Amino acid sequence: MTGENRNIRKEIGEKLKDEALRTNLGRFAEVYPAARAAALENAGDVEALREAIKQMKIDTVDRIEEVAGRFEAEATKRGIKVFRAADGNAVFGYLMDLCKALGVKRIVKSKSMASEEIDLSPYFKKNGLHVCESDLGEWIIELAGHKPSHMVMPAIHLSRYQVADYFSKELDKEIPPDIAFMVQAARRRLRGEFLNADMGISGANFGIAENGAIGLVTNEGNARLVTTLPPIHVVIMGYEKLIPKITDAALILKLLPRGATAQLMTSYMTLVGGPTPVMVKVGEHWVEKTREMHIILLDNGRLKAAKDEKFKQIFQCIRCASCLNVCPVYTLVGGHVYGGHTYAGGIGAILTAFLSGMADFEKFHELCIGCRRCTEVCPGKIDIPGLIEELRVRAVKEHGLPFVMKQVFENVMTNRRLFHSLMRAASLGMKPFAKGNLIRHLPLFFSGLAKDRSLPTIADKPLRDRMKSLIRKPAKPIGRAAFFSGCTMDFVLPDTGESIIKVLQDLGYEVVFPMDQSCCGKPVSATGDLETARKIARLNIQAFEKEKADVIITGCPACVEALHSYSEILKEEPEWKDRAAAVSHKVREFCSFVAEEYGKRGRLTKTGGGPKVTYHDSCHMKRVLGIAKEPRQLIEAAGCELVEMKDSDKCCGMSGIFGVKYAELSMPILEQKMNNIRNTGAEIAACACSGCMVQLQGGLDKQVPGVKMKHVADLLAEKIKD
Amino acid sequence: MKKTCDDWRRHFPAGKFGAHLFPEFEKRAKAVSAEIFRVKTSVEAADVVLNLARFTNARKVVSVSSPLQEKAGIENVLKSADIEVYSDQGDIATHAATADIGISGVEFGIAETGSVCQDGYAVESRLVSTLPPIHVAFLDSGLIVPGIIEAFEIISQVFDRGYISFITGPSRTADIERVLTIGVHGPSRFIIVAVDGELQGGGEAS
Ligand code: SF4
Repeated sequence: MTGENRNIRKEIGEKLKDEALRTNLGRFAEVYPAARAAALENAGDVEALREAIKQMKIDTVDRIEEVAGRFEAEATKRGIKVFRAADGNAVFGYLMDLCKALGVKRIVKSKSMASEEIDLSPYFKKNGLHVCESDLGEWIIELAGHKPSHMVMPAIHLSRYQVADYFSKELDKEIPPDIAFMVQAARRRLRGEFLNADMGISGANFGIAENGAIGLVTNEGNARLVTTLPPIHVVIMGYEKLIPKITDAALILKLLPRGATAQLMTSYMTLVGGPTPVMVKVGEHWVEKTREMHIILLDNGRLKAAKDEKFKQIFQCIRCASCLNVCPVYTLVGGHVYGGHTYAGGIGAILTAFLSGMADFEKFHELCIGCRRCTEVCPGKIDIPGLIEELRVRAVKEHGLPFVMKQVFENVMTNRRLFHSLMRAASLGMKPFAKGNLIRHLPLFFSGLAKDRSLPTIADKPLRDRMKSLIRKPAKPIGRAAFFSGCTMDFVLPDTGESIIKVLQDLGYEVVFPMDQSCCGKPVSATGDLETARKIARLNIQAFEKEKADVIITGCPACVEALHSYSEILKEEPEWKDRAAAVSHKVREFCSFVAEEYGKRGRLTKTGGGPKVTYHDSCHMKRVLGIAKEPRQLIEAAGCELVEMKDSDKCCGMSGIFGVKYAELSMPILEQKMNNIRNTGAEIAACACSGCMVQLQGGLDKQVPGVKMKHVADLLAEKIKD
Repeated sequence: MKKTCDDWRRHFPAGKFGAHLFPEFEKRAKAVSAEIFRVKTSVEAADVVLNLARFTNARKVVSVSSPLQEKAGIENVLKSADIEVYSDQGDIATHAATADIGISGVEFGIAETGSVCQDGYAVESRLVSTLPPIHVAFLDSGLIVPGIIEAFEIISQVFDRGYISFITGPSRTADIERVLTIGVHGPSRFIIVAVDGELQGGGEAS
């Protein structure tokens, strides 16, 4: 799966139809979160462990040369030959020389992602060497001629029937699709590979600088055989696997098996420190010799990343694949689509950018929807979506946006009047706009794919045109609240906008609505176009600073995030920096603000008597802003009975432009959400994010028509007497 | 026989290990399909192994000796039941791949995970624990540490060079359709014979 010639749309279409993949991944994604949680129950303070891993890895990458030097010295002292390889070709050269010098003909491998990254096996085969993968999953995909689709479970995309076909071909007899039988067939077939190999090649889960030892974590036991039977052992590992001390390995081992497969420990964990004894047959007799041991430290782009302030984070990855297991997009299409040459998912996109190049990255990075679920589980606490956004910014800096998108962003999004007149035009049903190429890139404009989701309609009268009748200045205002509606609430959900105003006025605030406010800029910055995002930021700053408000309220967490980022994206501009900070600091998310105010007034109490409501945690709300408790308290304060749905914090599939551009992916994600809502038996589905509301509303209309969609503000407003 | 450390016991952190952790260890080990026989005496231990050999129709056993096994006289017990037993290095190399049972000692158990820690520096101890379909591990039931962190505190003191393994249940895979299947490349049965306080009266005493 290389960068050239990828047609991601076609690939998505194919994988969505691939039943084996959908079943295996789908079932796994269903059970994984609970299984992981159960495995973590006796792990101690998980957050402290994650932080400890992160700090240990940061400390290592910050002095990577020193740590690598120590590792090399300690390993060498004990009789290991260490080779630092700049790239795949350097590895090939080293190993071919070694094989020639020692007469190696047969090689057995246990799993090494670094060797997959450089396509070592095909290279060996081309050069007439016999090489065999011994990890069952790796062997299966080798027989299939596939690439791994998951970092821990490489053959998860195949069914037992497909595997039986590959086995039948390889073993030249009919193999029934019985899993236990097939595993035994593989055991018998591969046993000879271990016993007859001249060389064993393994990866490493970690390399310990303190004593030059490596660690291997496996379930099958193949790594133990690879490091026990052949007279030569070669380790191929990336620099990111280095850790300073022996005790650091304990941190990794606490979370790696638990995150990878929800095991407390894998069947085998092996530490190899220096060359160990091996039995070699000399004539009729076995004699003990010392195994020849080599460690290849692979750079291939890693050391460049180590020097990058942001991307040195990739050294925090312990390759547990937890991030894949919770990713809504990965668990739909797998790693062949959502992945690069070797590495899958969001972390795969980042690794691909550094190890294979930006061209490969750009083929599939859009599949990261920024839901941030991965950031909650990653043992190394890597900001995967953040790094992907940063790579997008760098890509746009390098060669700009696609032409049409660029036109829209530069000409429409920075011109509020034009933008808003287009929105109004859409409400009048001016289809040429809606169908045009141009319009597709605007927020809120949805393509025709509406099978399982109603399209939102642009309101006849946007919120901004209703202001005169809504604004009621309280007699003694307790403060001045400026309302940032965001385009969705303004043009699609003006009724919710009204609810927000009503709740704020009921609290005693004087509410103002700056007419010059425009899109928050999130859909633009998400593509990496910071230049346009800055222009939009300046427009909004001007619009809001005029109002001299005490607080700026918005009912959409993505807008909150965008408004908060103004001070960051304008920090290099002296004339804007302070103004941006002043506005950013006033911005508050609606629910958390209102809960605080209700609390002060003793109104944040369960009242009861109302309808059953289930709450959807918007990704931005829960994981970017960290707000989950307050909306629930408000729902109960509004008299509703709160019932939790399964995976309430799993993405609804909208995520800005993604939900439109990749509607075929967005729909199955939405469908899961619909099922979870339906199963609660609630009458109302509530959330506190306009983007999610549009998506959920559309899904409910078509799939769960009995359930109404409401913003938390709507529930509160209904309780307030006019 | 080569070992990563000749005297592991010396490095157990006082007060941080002991037979009181055995129930937790046993629960975790059983949860991952390890079989556990806890015995009070070496005579009982010998019985366990002999019965196992009988029930599995074992003809050939490869064994790397450890103090607990010696005390139980395992090799003689098996031999007198007409089972071939190989314990020389060369014999183990010849026969491990075709043996029915492999026997070795392990250094300690980990309550958190149900793992045992094996000093595998000697190649024969690895051969007997990787190649045969059944691996029997002798463990002193007093030598249980609470968790991975404590295990690595010990390892960090003894591990200059060598080969150390955690073994946690039998060999397994879920590579086909995520269906858990036991016994891929390593043993399909992993049996722990835990002997109570025979040598030093358990951990609390040290
Ligand atoms: S990025 Fe984090 S969660 Fe993903 S594989 Fe790496 S360590 Fe695991």
